[in-house]
Amino acid sequence: MTTMPRTLKPADLYRKLEHIAENAKTWNRLMTTKAAIAQTPKELIWTLNKAKLYHYIPVVPADQRHRIPLLMVFAIMNRPHVLDLRPGHSFVEYMLKHGYDLYLLDWGAPSPEDRGMKFDDYVLDYLPRAIRKLKRVSGSDEFSMLGWCLGALITTLYGALRPDDGLKNLLLLTAPLDFSDKQAGGFIRWTSERSFNADKLIETFGNMPGEMIDYGAKALKPVENYIGNYLNLWSNIDNPKVVESWHAMNTWVTDIIPMAGATYRQLINEFYKENRLMNGTLTLRGEHVDLSKLRANLLNVIAEADHITPPCQSEGVMEKVGSRDKALYHIQGGHIGIMAGSGAEKRTWPHIEAWLADRSD
Amino acid sequence: MSQKEDPNPFDPTGMFKSMRDAGMDAWSKMMIQLINSEAYARASGTMLDAWLTSSAPFRKAIESTMTQVLTQLNMPIRTDVTSLAERLTHIELRLDDLEAKLDERSQPAPKAATGKSKETGT
Repeated sequence: MTTMPRTLKPADLYRKLEHIAENAKTWNRLMTTKAAIAQTPKELIWTLNKAKLYHYIPVVPADQRHRIPLLMVFAIMNRPHVLDLRPGHSFVEYMLKHGYDLYLLDWGAPSPEDRGMKFDDYVLDYLPRAIRKLKRVSGSDEFSMLGWCLGALITTLYGALRPDDGLKNLLLLTAPLDFSDKQAGGFIRWTSERSFNADKLIETFGNMPGEMIDYGAKALKPVENYIGNYLNLWSNIDNPKVVESWHAMNTWVTDIIPMAGATYRQLINEFYKENRLMNGTLTLRGEHVDLSKLRANLLNVIAEADHITPPCQSEGVMEKVGSRDKALYHIQGGHIGIMAGSGAEKRTWPHIEAWLADRSD
Repeated sequence: MSQKEDPNPFDPTGMFKSMRDAGMDAWSKMMIQLINSEAYARASGTMLDAWLTSSAPFRKAIESTMTQVLTQLNMPIRTDVTSLAERLTHIELRLDDLEAKLDERSQPAPKAATGKSKETGT
């Protein structure tokens, strides 16, 4: 049954205005300050150029920890803090509590002198050296790797090129690997266009500006990202849980970094346009990348509603890899939401942890 | 996310919100269709290409002027700085190799992969 609204008294009006002023203050705080993200204690154990390898301080006694350490490799065009978003909602925290010896490779932000860096350098120089350090610090000759987005592409390339280097388990999250379907999503449509010239872009900018990458990602869902995101925040601005979660995510999203120019050019030309990895024609520093040589146990996690890496870009790799133990796991959610959204702790993390736990001792 | 409830017919704000949500959904779907279309891909590619082509002469002129000015002033130009940074990275790579070799000499090799207990990682 509905009731007629009461007559608004001056006192009520004053309270309402006060409430709006409070909300405006909260809004101002969210837009002008950074949330405390990536707070889990860690130590820096290795650096090379801008790349840093961190070791998270274990929270479980050594005799209860899994024997095989886990190295997390995030994409090269964003900060990796989303893996450790905020206390109480952090994949890093979750895995530490479940007894993993955890390492994070942060690629850092490329500067003008890094414009010539390619996937070849990430896969054959940086990653093997970071792994060498991880092995030394952990004391284990075997390790697991979790790669997310372009981090998943890098870890896949590494797994195929260095199958005997001790990689036991490989977890891929929203991995862009197969670009055979040129109609699958906005990115591939834009970049497949003949007039889209990655060479000219890089010749102009040196490195691919973070702002352009950010625009590209947001433009795939323009109304949600530029308007809906803020309307939803305003609608929930009384809810501290939603507000703090939004603040943390916004802090991460707005911390944009460029992408090394030659890597971007390679991504567009050799992967998006020519699909060399899946066609079997990709070489890195003269070494042929043969996916059938990848033998690590493989869990390939796919976000059903991923508009950045549509599911078809990740699924095709399953029949190409040489792994005997391999599994595909579809999760409802978007590119980032499956790992950092409010449902991640119930849906994605437990599945990843359970799969890895069976293969980490 | 905002919860969708039955709008109160006497609450103009609620009605406005439900109209706004419906409008946003429709608008969002339309925009996603648009940006995923061949026409958008072609138009954005052409515009980007035109902008890069037309700005190139100005960019080159600024770069060459800046190079001349800095050289006249006996100051390092951009390529001097970047090549120095590149050399530093090469030195870092060599140092990393040296450190790895020292590690190998000073510590026993990592444990074998199979049949070991969980006592690692500290």
